[in-house]
Amino acid sequence: MATVGFALFSSKVSSSLISLFYSSVILSIIFTLYGDTMVGLVQMATFAGAVSVLMLTVILMTGEDRFALGARKLGLILLPPLLAFVGISFYLLSGGTGPSAESYADISNQVLVFLWVNRPWDLLILVMAFASAMVTISNLMSRET
Amino acid sequence: MQADALVLMTTGTLLVFMGIASISLSKNLVKTIMSFQIVLFGANLALFASGLGTDARLTSDTFVLLSVTIGAAVEAVGLAIVLGVHRKHGTLDPSKVRKLKG
Repeated sequence: MATVGFALFSSKVSSSLISLFYSSVILSIIFTLYGDTMVGLVQMATFAGAVSVLMLTVILMTGEDRFALGARKLGLILLPPLLAFVGISFYLLSGGTGPSAESYADISNQVLVFLWVNRPWDLLILVMAFASAMVTISNLMSRET
Repeated sequence: MQADALVLMTTGTLLVFMGIASISLSKNLVKTIMSFQIVLFGANLALFASGLGTDARLTSDTFVLLSVTIGAAVEAVGLAIVLGVHRKHGTLDPSKVRKLKG
Protein backbone atom coordinates (compact mmCIF):
# COMPACT_ATOMS: atom_id res chain seq x y z
CA MET A 1 0.00 0.00 0.00
CA ALA A 2 2.77 2.41 0.91
CA THR A 3 4.55 1.60 -2.34
CA VAL A 4 1.49 2.16 -4.44
CA GLY A 5 0.69 5.37 -2.56
CA PHE A 6 4.15 6.81 -3.02
CA ALA A 7 4.23 5.67 -6.63
CA LEU A 8 0.86 7.30 -7.30
CA PHE A 9 1.96 10.62 -5.85
CA SER A 10 5.41 10.62 -7.40
CA SER A 11 6.44 12.54 -10.45
CA LYS A 12 10.14 13.30 -9.84
CA VAL A 13 13.37 11.39 -9.48
CA SER A 14 13.27 11.55 -5.70
CA SER A 15 9.81 10.00 -5.62
CA SER A 16 10.94 7.32 -8.06
CA LEU A 17 13.71 6.54 -5.61
CA ILE A 18 11.17 6.13 -2.81
CA SER A 19 9.05 3.70 -4.82
CA LEU A 20 12.22 1.87 -5.86
CA PHE A 21 13.11 1.54 -2.19
CA TYR A 22 9.74 -0.01 -1.44
CA SER A 23 10.09 -2.31 -4.46
CA SER A 24 13.34 -3.66 -3.04
CA VAL A 25 11.69 -4.12 0.35
CA ILE A 26 8.83 -6.05 -1.27
CA LEU A 27 11.28 -8.18 -3.24
CA SER A 28 13.10 -9.10 -0.06
CA ILE A 29 9.74 -9.97 1.53
CA ILE A 30 9.03 -12.29 -1.41
CA PHE A 31 12.41 -13.98 -0.97
CA THR A 32 11.70 -14.45 2.73
CA LEU A 33 8.19 -15.77 2.14
CA TYR A 34 9.55 -18.46 -0.15
CA GLY A 35 11.89 -19.69 2.54
CA ASP A 36 15.08 -17.93 1.57
CA THR A 37 15.67 -15.71 4.57
CA MET A 38 19.35 -15.17 3.86
CA VAL A 39 18.81 -13.79 0.37
CA GLY A 40 15.97 -11.62 1.67
CA LEU A 41 18.16 -10.18 4.38
CA VAL A 42 21.04 -9.49 1.99
CA GLN A 43 18.64 -7.92 -0.52
CA MET A 44 17.15 -5.71 2.19
CA ALA A 45 20.53 -4.66 3.61
CA THR A 46 22.11 -4.03 0.23
CA PHE A 47 19.46 -2.43 -1.93
CA ALA A 48 16.98 -1.01 0.57
CA GLY A 49 19.83 0.13 2.77
CA ALA A 50 23.12 0.93 1.14
CA VAL A 51 22.20 1.54 -2.49
CA SER A 52 19.16 3.68 -1.62
CA VAL A 53 21.26 5.89 0.64
CA LEU A 54 23.95 6.16 -2.04
CA MET A 55 21.37 7.11 -4.64
CA LEU A 56 19.75 9.63 -2.32
CA THR A 57 23.16 11.20 -1.71
CA VAL A 58 23.81 11.47 -5.43
CA ILE A 59 20.37 12.98 -6.04
CA LEU A 60 20.90 15.56 -3.31
CA MET A 61 24.43 16.40 -4.52
CA THR A 62 23.35 16.83 -8.11
CA GLY A 63 20.37 19.01 -7.21
CA GLU A 64 17.62 16.65 -8.28
CA ASP A 65 15.88 16.97 -4.91
CA ARG A 66 12.63 18.64 -5.95
CA PHE A 67 9.80 16.78 -4.31
CA ALA A 68 6.50 17.37 -6.06
CA LEU A 69 3.58 15.55 -4.48
CA GLY A 70 1.10 16.38 -7.20
CA ALA A 71 -2.09 14.67 -8.30
CA ARG A 72 -3.51 14.58 -4.78
CA LYS A 73 -7.07 14.55 -6.08
CA LEU A 74 -6.27 11.51 -8.19
CA GLY A 75 -4.78 9.84 -5.15
CA LEU A 76 -7.80 10.65 -3.02
CA ILE A 77 -10.06 9.21 -5.70
CA LEU A 78 -8.00 6.06 -6.22
CA LEU A 79 -7.14 5.31 -2.60
CA PRO A 80 -10.57 4.09 -1.31
CA PRO A 81 -11.12 1.62 -4.21
CA LEU A 82 -7.55 0.39 -3.75
CA LEU A 83 -8.12 -0.17 -0.04
CA ALA A 84 -11.40 -1.96 -0.76
CA PHE A 85 -9.71 -4.12 -3.42
CA VAL A 86 -6.95 -5.18 -1.06
CA GLY A 87 -9.40 -5.94 1.75
CA ILE A 88 -11.82 -7.91 -0.41
CA SER A 89 -9.00 -9.81 -2.11
CA PHE A 90 -7.50 -10.73 1.24
CA TYR A 91 -10.87 -11.95 2.53
CA LEU A 92 -11.62 -13.97 -0.61
CA LEU A 93 -8.17 -15.47 -1.07
CA SER A 94 -7.66 -16.48 2.52
CA GLY A 95 -11.26 -17.58 3.03
CA GLY A 96 -11.62 -15.35 6.06
CA THR A 97 -9.41 -17.58 8.14
CA GLY A 98 -6.79 -16.25 10.49
CA PRO A 99 -3.41 -17.65 11.50
CA SER A 100 -3.34 -20.92 13.39
CA ALA A 101 -0.13 -20.74 15.35
CA GLU A 102 -1.22 -22.31 18.60
CA SER A 103 1.07 -25.30 18.21
CA TYR A 104 4.17 -23.16 17.95
CA ALA A 105 5.75 -21.93 21.11
CA ASP A 106 8.27 -19.30 20.20
CA ILE A 107 7.39 -16.02 18.61
CA SER A 108 9.58 -16.27 15.50
CA ASN A 109 7.85 -19.48 14.46
CA GLN A 110 4.50 -17.81 15.02
CA VAL A 111 5.50 -15.01 12.69
CA LEU A 112 6.61 -17.51 10.05
CA VAL A 113 3.37 -19.47 10.44
CA PHE A 114 1.38 -16.25 10.08
CA LEU A 115 3.24 -15.47 6.87
CA TRP A 116 2.77 -19.00 5.57
CA VAL A 117 -0.95 -19.14 6.36
CA ASN A 118 -1.48 -15.82 4.62
CA ARG A 119 0.34 -16.89 1.48
CA PRO A 120 -2.43 -15.51 -0.77
CA TRP A 121 -0.85 -12.17 0.07
CA ASP A 122 1.92 -13.27 -2.29
CA LEU A 123 -0.33 -12.45 -5.20
CA LEU A 124 -1.12 -9.03 -3.78
CA ILE A 125 2.54 -8.39 -3.07
CA LEU A 126 3.38 -9.29 -6.66
CA VAL A 127 0.64 -7.01 -7.96
CA MET A 128 1.86 -4.16 -5.79
CA ALA A 129 5.49 -4.74 -6.76
CA PHE A 130 4.57 -4.82 -10.42
CA ALA A 131 2.39 -1.71 -10.14
CA SER A 132 5.08 0.20 -8.30
CA ALA A 133 7.69 -0.87 -10.83
CA MET A 134 5.40 0.21 -13.67
CA VAL A 135 4.79 3.64 -12.16
CA THR A 136 8.50 3.96 -11.43
CA ILE A 137 9.28 3.12 -15.04
CA SER A 138 6.76 5.65 -16.26
CA ASN A 139 8.38 8.23 -14.01
CA LEU A 140 11.78 7.29 -15.30
CA MET A 141 10.58 7.61 -18.87
CA SER A 142 9.08 11.04 -18.26
CA ARG A 143 11.32 13.87 -19.38
CA GLU A 144 10.34 16.44 -16.77
CA THR A 145 13.71 16.41 -14.97
CA MET B 1 7.37 -25.96 -13.15
CA GLN B 2 5.28 -24.78 -10.22
CA ALA B 3 2.68 -22.09 -10.69
CA ASP B 4 4.46 -19.84 -8.17
CA ALA B 5 7.73 -20.21 -10.03
CA LEU B 6 6.02 -19.46 -13.33
CA VAL B 7 4.43 -16.28 -11.98
CA LEU B 8 7.71 -15.14 -10.44
CA MET B 9 9.60 -15.94 -13.63
CA THR B 10 7.13 -13.99 -15.77
CA THR B 11 7.27 -11.02 -13.41
CA GLY B 12 11.06 -11.07 -13.44
CA THR B 13 11.19 -11.24 -17.22
CA LEU B 14 8.78 -8.33 -17.58
CA LEU B 15 10.82 -6.29 -15.11
CA VAL B 16 13.98 -6.99 -17.11
CA PHE B 17 12.43 -5.89 -20.40
CA MET B 18 10.85 -2.79 -18.87
CA GLY B 19 14.16 -1.82 -17.30
CA ILE B 20 16.03 -2.27 -20.56
CA ALA B 21 13.43 -0.13 -22.36
CA SER B 22 13.77 2.53 -19.68
CA ILE B 23 17.57 2.48 -19.92
CA SER B 24 17.44 3.03 -23.65
CA LEU B 25 14.91 5.88 -23.38
CA SER B 26 16.24 7.64 -20.29
CA LYS B 27 17.64 11.16 -20.52
CA ASN B 28 19.03 11.28 -16.99
CA LEU B 29 22.01 9.32 -15.73
CA VAL B 30 20.51 8.79 -12.26
CA LYS B 31 17.38 7.42 -13.89
CA THR B 32 19.58 5.11 -15.94
CA ILE B 33 21.11 3.72 -12.77
CA MET B 34 17.63 3.25 -11.31
CA SER B 35 16.56 1.41 -14.45
CA PHE B 36 19.60 -0.81 -14.13
CA GLN B 37 18.49 -1.58 -10.58
CA ILE B 38 15.08 -2.64 -11.88
CA VAL B 39 16.76 -4.90 -14.45
CA LEU B 40 18.76 -6.38 -11.60
CA PHE B 41 15.60 -6.95 -9.56
CA GLY B 42 13.99 -8.77 -12.46
CA ALA B 43 17.07 -10.90 -13.08
CA ASN B 44 17.32 -11.82 -9.42
CA LEU B 45 13.63 -12.70 -9.29
CA ALA B 46 13.87 -14.92 -12.40
CA LEU B 47 17.03 -16.56 -11.09
CA PHE B 48 15.36 -17.21 -7.75
CA ALA B 49 12.24 -18.61 -9.44
CA SER B 50 14.31 -20.96 -11.58
CA GLY B 51 15.32 -22.88 -8.49
CA LEU B 52 11.91 -23.10 -6.83
CA GLY B 53 10.65 -26.65 -6.47
CA THR B 54 13.76 -28.22 -7.98
CA ASP B 55 16.88 -29.87 -6.65
CA ALA B 56 18.97 -26.89 -7.73
CA ARG B 57 17.46 -24.58 -5.10
CA LEU B 58 20.73 -24.05 -3.27
CA THR B 59 22.56 -23.27 -6.51
CA SER B 60 20.01 -20.65 -7.56
CA ASP B 61 20.08 -19.07 -4.09
CA THR B 62 23.85 -18.85 -4.25
CA PHE B 63 23.73 -17.22 -7.66
CA VAL B 64 21.11 -14.74 -6.42
CA LEU B 65 23.38 -13.79 -3.52
CA LEU B 66 26.30 -13.38 -5.91
CA SER B 67 24.17 -11.30 -8.28
CA VAL B 68 22.95 -9.04 -5.46
CA THR B 69 26.50 -8.37 -4.28
CA ILE B 70 27.95 -7.74 -7.73
CA GLY B 71 24.95 -5.60 -8.70
CA ALA B 72 25.37 -3.39 -5.64
CA ALA B 73 29.06 -2.91 -6.43
CA VAL B 74 28.30 -2.05 -10.06
CA GLU B 75 25.67 0.46 -8.98
CA ALA B 76 28.06 2.11 -6.55
CA VAL B 77 30.66 2.50 -9.30
CA GLY B 78 27.98 3.81 -11.67
CA LEU B 79 26.84 6.40 -9.15
CA ALA B 80 30.44 7.52 -8.64
CA ILE B 81 30.79 7.94 -12.41
CA VAL B 82 27.53 9.93 -12.46
CA LEU B 83 28.88 12.25 -9.77
CA GLY B 84 32.11 12.70 -11.71
CA VAL B 85 30.25 13.49 -14.92
CA HIS B 86 28.06 16.03 -13.10
CA ARG B 87 31.08 17.74 -11.57
CA LYS B 88 32.93 17.92 -14.87
CA HIS B 89 30.11 18.80 -17.24
CA GLY B 90 27.42 20.24 -14.97
CA THR B 91 24.67 18.11 -16.49
CA LEU B 92 23.20 14.65 -16.15
CA ASP B 93 21.91 14.47 -19.71
CA PRO B 94 24.08 11.93 -21.55
CA SER B 95 23.39 13.54 -24.91
CA LYS B 96 25.00 16.76 -23.69
CA VAL B 97 28.17 15.06 -22.53
CA ARG B 98 30.23 15.27 -25.68
CA LYS B 99 33.66 14.61 -24.26
CA LEU B 100 33.70 10.94 -25.22
CA LYS B 101 32.25 11.48 -28.70
CA GLY B 102 34.65 10.91 -31.57
